[in-house]
Amino acid sequence: MNRGTFSLFVGPSVFIMLALMTLPLLASVVLGLHFITFRNLDEPLWIGFKNYQEVLADPEFWDSLEFTLLFIAIAVPARIVLGLLFALLLDQITRFRGVFIAAALVPFVMTPVVGTLIFRDMFDRGGPYWYWMQQLFDYRLFMNSTTVPLLIIFHSIWTATPFAMIVLFAGLQTLPQESLEAARVDGATWLRQLWHVAMPHLRSLFIFIGLISIMDSYRVFDSVFVLTQQNPIYDAETIMYYNFQVALSFGRLGKANAMSVLTVLGIFVVLIPFLVMTYREQTEEA
Amino acid sequence: MTRTNHPLARLIIYIALALFTVYNVFPFAWTIMNSVKLPKDANARIPRFVFTPTGENYSELWLNMRPDAFAPYGLALILIFCALAVICLSANRIPAPNSAVYIGCIFAGVIVALALPEVVNTAEFYDYLINSVIVTVGTLCVSLSIGALAGYGLARYRHVVSVYILVIALAFRSLPSLALVLPFYYLGQLSGLYDTHILLIFCLVAVNQPFTIWMLRSFFMEIPREIEEAAMIDGAGRLKSFISVIVPIMWPGIITTGLFTLLLAYNDFLLARILTQINWTLPVGIAQFTGGEDPGHVTLAAAGSVSVTLPILVVIIFFQKYLIRGLASGAVKG
Repeated sequence: MNRGTFSLFVGPSVFIMLALMTLPLLASVVLGLHFITFRNLDEPLWIGFKNYQEVLADPEFWDSLEFTLLFIAIAVPARIVLGLLFALLLDQITRFRGVFIAAALVPFVMTPVVGTLIFRDMFDRGGPYWYWMQQLFDYRLFMNSTTVPLLIIFHSIWTATPFAMIVLFAGLQTLPQESLEAARVDGATWLRQLWHVAMPHLRSLFIFIGLISIMDSYRVFDSVFVLTQQNPIYDAETIMYYNFQVALSFGRLGKANAMSVLTVLGIFVVLIPFLVMTYREQTEEA
Repeated sequence: MTRTNHPLARLIIYIALALFTVYNVFPFAWTIMNSVKLPKDANARIPRFVFTPTGENYSELWLNMRPDAFAPYGLALILIFCALAVICLSANRIPAPNSAVYIGCIFAGVIVALALPEVVNTAEFYDYLINSVIVTVGTLCVSLSIGALAGYGLARYRHVVSVYILVIALAFRSLPSLALVLPFYYLGQLSGLYDTHILLIFCLVAVNQPFTIWMLRSFFMEIPREIEEAAMIDGAGRLKSFISVIVPIMWPGIITTGLFTLLLAYNDFLLARILTQINWTLPVGIAQFTGGEDPGHVTLAAAGSVSVTLPILVVIIFFQKYLIRGLASGAVKG
């Protein structure tokens, strides 16, 4: 394929991405350097890096960053481990496989806003989970600054584990049969087959899921919005949610844009190891 | 991998998977139950599993007034709609070209969908559904067509430029959507497209494009070059050989990618919330049920939740085998 044909094929897609994604990014950078609220939309005031100073000195920003990182540290490994566990179980059976997979798709496919509403109602006073916890363990669940963050994390595990499971299950279907055969002839146990054949084969899938999960966890918004009912006492604000508040509740658009830019930089820092790994794989293949 | 034959181990595996299934499905099942309860059953202090079902919540959600004399006609239109869906699904058994069946069904479906509000006094929720369908279908069409072209180009043009484009795309994918919504909002106001379907469609396409081209590229990498080279020797150009040779082979991959696009477009809340004023989509419409102390609120919200979730659930479960096959064929190696 020559350069001309290549540009024709790639052109429309690159054009839409650049037109709609680059301009807003530049706008964020520029607006982040201004004092701008809904009252002075027409004449923003240039204040240089004051917004950034303010953000970095803002304890609420650090609180939200801390919770976001905690969220990633718990939710992402939990999704991968549980997803692998159930993918391996599915791999052991043939009967009812379709039913189990279809059922697992339910929380993953559900519209996030709806899924979160439903999830909250289960744990709210009078909901089935709330009632059973009280009946079986004599535990009365109150929404407070310990339980709400835990519920937000649990909710993300509930919705995202099926995705990890399906991707890993699909990966298990494409294991190199010759290596498995060789392992079997050598009398390798299931555990050894898993460790020496399956895990190396699934490595790129772990990277794929990890990458997607981290990026999505960094941007958690819907569940916080619904589960906290926009009440600050639960101390469960993620970066995205706090960013939203700064923009729409406090009307500080400039500061919100500065936070967005910082968030982008933050994501890149988190993604560096993954980017390097992806780049290496790309160049190895080529 | 080796399967265990130990009966006890197999029993435990099935029990574990069954528990996992209950854990996945129970909240939605509970919501379906709530959606056909009267408020007094839904608000009972002890969760009730036995009650007299009612259709009240659905009619309150979808209709502006109680079902009247015209309701039978509305019901007839809905049945026609279901019949069209069944015809589409069994297109292979009908002695006519598949494409003719699909186009006919889609055409008839659009007419039925437009006729329904004229016959029955539908509530705003129906408008949200129509908006959601327009935005989702529009996003799917634009995103997949330009994404397939780009993915194919990237898979075939081995050059540093391709790597640059992929890495930049990945960078865009990692942008938080809030960093985009405010500029998108300005863009909408400036261009006068605020609160239109077109703006929302193109913003969703842009947000989703990185994932689409990464995924489609890895599908196209699997196709041997010889296939389209043979077509080109026969005198077909690149574009023609792409459309007539590559796309037909790639349908499973395109469907898999399309399912993820569908999920993103249909489920999007933040973009739709900020870029629309009246033309809400379903997720924005359902969000109005997040608060409220009215006792009827729980059942109404449940009916809304089921109404929003059911269409997408049916589509995804129907295409489930493509999803697994597509993911298994190596689409996610990148």
